[in-house]
Amino acid sequence: MNTNLKISNVTKIYPGCVANDNVSLEFNSGKIYALLGENGAGKSTLVKILSGVIIPDEGKIYLNENNLKLNSPLDAKKNDIGMVFQHFNLFETLSVFENLIIDSDEQRKSLREKIDSIMKKYNFSIDLDIPVLNLSAGQKQKVEIIRCLIRNPKVLIMDEPTSVLTEQETSELFLSLKKFSEEGILIIYITHKLKEVMQLCDEVAVMRRGKLVSVSQIKNENIESLANKMVGQNLKTIKKRKAKTSSDQLINITNLNFISEDPFETNLNNINFSVNRGECLGIAGISGNGQSELFQVLSGEILSDKNSIEYNKNYIGDLNPQERREYLMAFSPEDRLEQAAIPQMAIFENVALNNFKSSNFFNNGLINENKIKEHSKKIISDFNVNTDNIELKSQFLSGGNLQKLIIGRELITAPDLLICFNPTWGLDVGAINYIHETLIKINEQNKSIILISTDTDELLKLSDKISVIHKGKLSNIMNADEVTSEKLGILMGGGN
Amino acid sequence: MIKIVKRDQPSRAIFFLTPILAIFLTLVAGGLIFYIIGFKPFEALKFFFIVPIADMYGFSELLLKATPLCLIAIGLSFCFKSNNWNIGAEGQLTFGAIVSGGVALIFYEQEGFYILPIVILAGAIGGMLYASIPAILKTYFNTNEILVSLMLVYVSKLILDYLVVGPWSNPEGFNFPETRQFSDSARLPILFEGLRIHAGIFLALAAVVASWFIFYKTYLGFQMKVSGFSLKTAKYAGYKGKKMIILVFLISGACAGLAGVGEITGPIGQLHREVSPDYGFTAIIVAFLGRLHPIGIIFASLIVAITYLGAETAQIFMQIPKYTGQVFQGMILFFLLASDYLLFFKIKFTGLKK
Repeated sequence: MNTNLKISNVTKIYPGCVANDNVSLEFNSGKIYALLGENGAGKSTLVKILSGVIIPDEGKIYLNENNLKLNSPLDAKKNDIGMVFQHFNLFETLSVFENLIIDSDEQRKSLREKIDSIMKKYNFSIDLDIPVLNLSAGQKQKVEIIRCLIRNPKVLIMDEPTSVLTEQETSELFLSLKKFSEEGILIIYITHKLKEVMQLCDEVAVMRRGKLVSVSQIKNENIESLANKMVGQNLKTIKKRKAKTSSDQLINITNLNFISEDPFETNLNNINFSVNRGECLGIAGISGNGQSELFQVLSGEILSDKNSIEYNKNYIGDLNPQERREYLMAFSPEDRLEQAAIPQMAIFENVALNNFKSSNFFNNGLINENKIKEHSKKIISDFNVNTDNIELKSQFLSGGNLQKLIIGRELITAPDLLICFNPTWGLDVGAINYIHETLIKINEQNKSIILISTDTDELLKLSDKISVIHKGKLSNIMNADEVTSEKLGILMGGGN
Repeated sequence: MIKIVKRDQPSRAIFFLTPILAIFLTLVAGGLIFYIIGFKPFEALKFFFIVPIADMYGFSELLLKATPLCLIAIGLSFCFKSNNWNIGAEGQLTFGAIVSGGVALIFYEQEGFYILPIVILAGAIGGMLYASIPAILKTYFNTNEILVSLMLVYVSKLILDYLVVGPWSNPEGFNFPETRQFSDSARLPILFEGLRIHAGIFLALAAVVASWFIFYKTYLGFQMKVSGFSLKTAKYAGYKGKKMIILVFLISGACAGLAGVGEITGPIGQLHREVSPDYGFTAIIVAFLGRLHPIGIIFASLIVAITYLGAETAQIFMQIPKYTGQVFQGMILFFLLASDYLLFFKIKFTGLKK
């Protein structure tokens, strides 16, 4: 039985932004479709419209010629549209089976049989009776997929499914998706990763700034052509210079441990590494393996044993972030809106968050507003932040501009070491390029970087040395030019 | 068709206009209530809001009532701006009154310029001590400060009750639940002969200026602001977030304690059972009506103070229970919260659609 899904003239307008501008698309079962675009291109909005989360301002959706009224996610489910979101919607402390039975009307016994047959058919092996929190990201995703399959969907939408998966888990997922497609399920695959589109899909629709810019067969495309369509300009490729051989050690971590009282945090187990001047150490890993804890220990938000961190011949494990900044360290946390900046405060107030004694932002306990504003203007012009109003609340900056402001704030004081955590997360290609260029420049000035990132391509591009963090343990430190993304993938999954 | 649209950014003008809108709606609703229970709405509102402050005495009474409200609300603004929900100012006021009253009783037979400062200081310290309980429990034991601070209100009221009936009651007082009169040196001076307005108003004004200065001009205020928005950011910036929480509670407690001092050392001059007609709770409304801004709080405290006076006048002239005052206070808060919706959404009239 063939499935035909048609999106006809869909428009969705948000204040100050047209998320979907008159988008029309047609999908037929038997093929895997890619919906490709940068962050903010409108693909998530389109998908949320298909799954009933957002109601479009204009336009219609037809499934097999029937006009669908999708006013809630329940409507989408009833109309056999299944969706796996990027962030899992599972109850961590309930068992797999309990999670599956929650939104099903079936009897326990018949549901159990149904799940067993699905797992057998697609070769999934998941213990249904253990709590979800014991599952790997890949297994959790399978649970989400099973949840869709229970309802015999005609359409299955996958939103950025590989962002939390290892290479191995990704190829397993691709095999399953191909199998679903052969069975007649229409698959729409949302991503901004070009390699995956080339590997998996048959047709690709590219979106940019809310508009559909092209629909084409994969066999007529290659990575460069898709990238240019996605960005709308020809990208220059950034090249990292050959690593200088410096043996001047800047920071040395020995026997660093962190045991958390919070069951949702990861313990750090005997971390050892060192970074030389002018070097970038990349730390790879799937998110949730201790990166956040490692960042906080390095920044001083979590204090550790004084002797576990030696920096420029000082022992600083017991110093807080402000005291560490005085030693010329700088920090760029992962969460821009909840940690690195305060959206409700003005740009210049956010600049004052990184406060040195020598910067004189606060004299004798009083705010020196002129000094802060002067400094803020310099950051804005030196780091290309796209505004000239430093009194603007920072929530009105785009993600890219906010990140430039944060990186600028941390770098304008010329630190010897920058520690950053997912610095390009959620940014568009232009901003990513800018941040990458900036980071390379720092290394060229003989300053060091510790780059904690979940983006393997970014790590391979910028790092001189790479290590992988898995369940709070750090792998051996490898030279970046001897590492492949496959090797990283194995280590990230806990292999050897 | 009427459509509700999300605003791109909260409107600054609306931010200061909604309190005025809330007061207007309160008047309309109040008039309606008076009408329903059989009064002429305009006449009743006149008794409520105009008659009480029509003469000098009335005006001085207004300031007398506004003083504690303003003082407490200023203190609360420190807590609320940094997302610490101290709703136990009434208890801190009571405890401040107990401590300062106790000190004043020690000096009941003495005169001297040094007595009043000690009494005032004792009140502030009493309030701070009492506010430190929810603060420390919150920071070190993760308790909820709303519950703790609220429940402590009743504890302090019972302590006061016990003291004025028992050990501290006036030996020559025919078993009335009150203490001895304080000596004149332990009392805040009355400003004008024949009126009850006392020097406590200067404490309130000093608190207004100090809070403005701390919040907008000092590093300490900046750290409080950051800690209030996000403890994660405060930690990242290297601020001591827990100390900040305790500090705002202490400031808030000190202000409430000072309000307590004003209540007992002003016109009354002794400790008794009813130190405060719920000023500590009403000040929460004042703080929000004033948008947690020092100047706004001054105006808000005057407006809310009228409801206390109006209730008394209405009771005398119209035989309406004085609890009507609380009805008005409740309505102000209700309409303020409701009209805050307009901060983030606007109503759009789109004309008829086919």
